[in-house]
Amino acid sequence: MTSSIARPASRFRLSYDSGSAIFLVAPAVLVLGLVAVYPIGYSFYNSLFDLNLARPHRVPFVWFDNYAKLFHDPQFWIAVRRTTVYTLVTVIGTALLALGVALFLNEAFRGRRILAALLLVPWATPSIVNGLMWKWIYDPTYGLLNGLLLTLGIIEKYQVWLGDPNLTIFLIAQAAIWKQMPLAAILLLVTMKSIPDDLYRAAKVDGATVLQRFWHITLPALKPGFMLVFVYETMISIRHFDLFAIMTQGGPGDASFTISWQIYIESFRSLKFGMGSALSFVLALATLILSYLFIRLLSRKL
Amino acid sequence: MTTASQTRSNIERHVAVRRKPLLPAVGRRALLLSLSVLFLAYVIGPVYWVFVSSIQSEADLVSVPPNWVPDDVTLQNFHAIFFYDAKEVTYESRRIGDPATGDFIPTAAQNLLPALYNSVYVGVWVAILNVLLSLTAAYAIARIRFRGRRPTLYLILVTRAIPDIALVVPLFLVMRNFLDIVNTRESLIITYLAVTVPFTVFILINYFESIPADLGKAARVDGCSHLQVLRHVYLPVGMPAVVASLLFAFLTSWNEFVLALMLTSTIAAQTLPIVISGFVFDFTTSFSLVNAAGVVAIVPPVVLAILFERYIVSGLTAGAVKG
Repeated sequence: MTSSIARPASRFRLSYDSGSAIFLVAPAVLVLGLVAVYPIGYSFYNSLFDLNLARPHRVPFVWFDNYAKLFHDPQFWIAVRRTTVYTLVTVIGTALLALGVALFLNEAFRGRRILAALLLVPWATPSIVNGLMWKWIYDPTYGLLNGLLLTLGIIEKYQVWLGDPNLTIFLIAQAAIWKQMPLAAILLLVTMKSIPDDLYRAAKVDGATVLQRFWHITLPALKPGFMLVFVYETMISIRHFDLFAIMTQGGPGDASFTISWQIYIESFRSLKFGMGSALSFVLALATLILSYLFIRLLSRKL
Repeated sequence: MTTASQTRSNIERHVAVRRKPLLPAVGRRALLLSLSVLFLAYVIGPVYWVFVSSIQSEADLVSVPPNWVPDDVTLQNFHAIFFYDAKEVTYESRRIGDPATGDFIPTAAQNLLPALYNSVYVGVWVAILNVLLSLTAAYAIARIRFRGRRPTLYLILVTRAIPDIALVVPLFLVMRNFLDIVNTRESLIITYLAVTVPFTVFILINYFESIPADLGKAARVDGCSHLQVLRHVYLPVGMPAVVASLLFAFLTSWNEFVLALMLTSTIAAQTLPIVISGFVFDFTTSFSLVNAAGVVAIVPPVVLAILFERYIVSGLTAGAVKG
């Protein structure tokens, strides 16, 4: 420990002690530098080269050619569209379902605690298992979904769910929602619990209906919770890879071909590491800009 | 103790009953009951289905319509996973080698037990190292003024805004060219720290800032070093957040797929998600075995999550109300 003598209480809330602080922060910063900051710099550097592992001895420096190529690649724009649809459906679906669940669990009834604890089951389920679970449920010949819908008389014969290009992205989003809804519901539930009861009682005295109380008291109070849910779920969903790898591998055709999946294809199937890096950097940048915008929005609204 | 907690739960019940915010009383019970059933069907139903599928024979599993409750319970898949013994396939025993009979246990089943070990090993180390690294960093940022405090905080948090998939290519090259530890458990441990440390630092800073600064200052005046203050003042008070961080790091590591897929190539380092994902596209693997592997991967994190529910929920919602 560097020699640091405690100062008498100053007008600053915290004591000033650079030496100790750097010593304490250093391990975390070093590890993050090695496995987070450096790789990102390295990724950007690689993205300026036509680096192709199938042709390792000729690696020309191409400036921003990879990026230019990307923006003229129709496949990239398909991936952008698929990623946008997927992220929107997942985030909105998660938020709405979580709102419903939070309202439900905010009611006082026997067994509420147990149901709330069970919310952690989807949350803790590994995404790979989540993927194979829903793939198995959607299975065209032996799946639960077909069996259930047929028994209920909703469909007349077994359907090919994931194989339908119009449905596949929504079905994958549904699997994501199943896993992500619990965290969002817990966040909303905690926010709901912080609403003072007096507000509801006063509104009731004034003759407000259930819907009016929900619209004018609950919803506005949930704003910070919702913003958190939107920021977090967007950041998570835009980068989803696991479910796509397990459930559809980008298919059928290019129906679930997202940016994450394109990074995988470019880098590890085509071995075009330069192009893969450029794509990674575009996604990282998009994520950073989105989170910046969200945080700006968040801090202005609150 | 008992009376205290009883009193508290009584108070809670009292408060909860008075709460009754939105639903009218008429039909309330019926509505809540049907909602509970729907809730259970959606939240637990899929996991129940995986479990039921894992304890049926392949022949039962492929019946139309599906068996909601298994006819015959068989543990052959779990036996195959935990007590794998490769039977030699001869002319007489060729049924064993024929996937069509449903009794076929692929050789890949023997990889599940080592993968389970790898997952536990990596998860435990990530949990421990993550907390050690994050504790000191979070303490310094929350409780010491120093040059570069803001930039350090931003640096740590911004790394989390970068998608894992963007790290895959450069990390692979870093591990191969510089550290030469591709396909080791160590490469996974160090990589996962990049994912868990920022989140943990964020949680711990929130927690430490809620502890009165005078507590630490008093200890400093009495001549404690920063490490001693951290150990004797902040660590005991911050224990709930530390437990939550341990669990988050373990679960993140247990769950991680993309990075492990790229950084490992043999069972020497492959974790459960990698081995299981291999099953999904192997058409000779029986459906019931895939589901059994899924159960093996699901049980540890779910049991941990339910056991430590209180810590996890308080950790997840730290700072949520503040915004």
